[in-house]
Amino acid sequence: MEQKQPLAFRIIGTIFYLGPLIFAFGFIAPLTSQLLSMWGYEVIAGVPAVGVGLFVALVWGSWAQWRGKWI
Amino acid sequence: MSIQIEGMSSSELMAAEREIARRHTDNFPWLSVIWSFTNLAVWLSLWPLVFFAGLPLWIGFIIATLNIMLSYLPSHEAQHDIIARPGTRLRWLNQLVGHLSTIPLVLPYRVAKLTHMEHHKHTHDPELDPDYDTHANSPLHAIWKSIVNRQPRATGGFNAYGNALARIGRPDVVLDGVIYNIIFYAIICTLAWQGYALEAALLWWLPRHIGTTYISYYLSWAPHHGGSKGRYKDTRGFRAALGNIGSMGMQYHIVHHLHPRIPLIRTPRAFREMRDILEARGCKIEGL
Repeated sequence: MEQKQPLAFRIIGTIFYLGPLIFAFGFIAPLTSQLLSMWGYEVIAGVPAVGVGLFVALVWGSWAQWRGKWI
Repeated sequence: MSIQIEGMSSSELMAAEREIARRHTDNFPWLSVIWSFTNLAVWLSLWPLVFFAGLPLWIGFIIATLNIMLSYLPSHEAQHDIIARPGTRLRWLNQLVGHLSTIPLVLPYRVAKLTHMEHHKHTHDPELDPDYDTHANSPLHAIWKSIVNRQPRATGGFNAYGNALARIGRPDVVLDGVIYNIIFYAIICTLAWQGYALEAALLWWLPRHIGTTYISYYLSWAPHHGGSKGRYKDTRGFRAALGNIGSMGMQYHIVHHLHPRIPLIRTPRAFREMRDILEARGCKIEGL
């Protein structure tokens, strides 16, 4: 019978498995938002820069999560 | 120093090679030790300088990139016990350099050491060499492979190191990599959501990618390009576009693979003294 891994290992495994999404929302979203603000785009089509950042994170992060690569 | 090698037998060539190596081994590598601590101190100082002292971020980015490119080699000297062997008085210094210098690269010392020893034992073995995935057809392809090896589900690069550690019975060391990565991503994500995403990106995240590409190119791909398994075949001498300093001494990496305990700073001299022997052995020496 396969031995169940300790909870901590399973949590770490899940974190690493979801790495692309975590990185996208944890880093790419605020980075995009701050780049847009720096370039003077506080709002794009009524969406604040942070919203655009989160959207970029969702799309790019999901793609990276699905394909296993960013580019 | 020139050696008359004509008519020498294989064992005489080996004896002459070892005698040269002996003369260059066990010289305390002061440069690597100073390099290690200075490089880390400069990189750490960039953070307060950028955050509180008005150092322009673009200057910080350039310096941080150089810091991370420079961060691997002192640890490499420690990995080979060049600073101090086990059981000697300065062993603590060897281990300190090994552990500290690759912090900006987010590469734990034990991971680097154990996988690097496997690379030396199995250079060019597609199954056993943890660095085998840096193989590429051209310089541009090598850069591309380095980027590909860093993708989330890539099988090469740092991702190959876990398999190598499991194979040699040290899965515990994988935990070092896990901890380093969790801390790294926790720091840059926290900074990013605190409003310092650009600073995190340009002082650590992007320099780390550029540095890793550089290290992969010059320390792994270039000296082994076109090689095959075998003591005198697995590494080449080559003329680097960026010169010997720009390639961090890798033009003479062939000497390191033959005699890993010769300090980096001594490999050019050892190479010049060994050159005739290496040519007699059929080593690839290109443009030097």
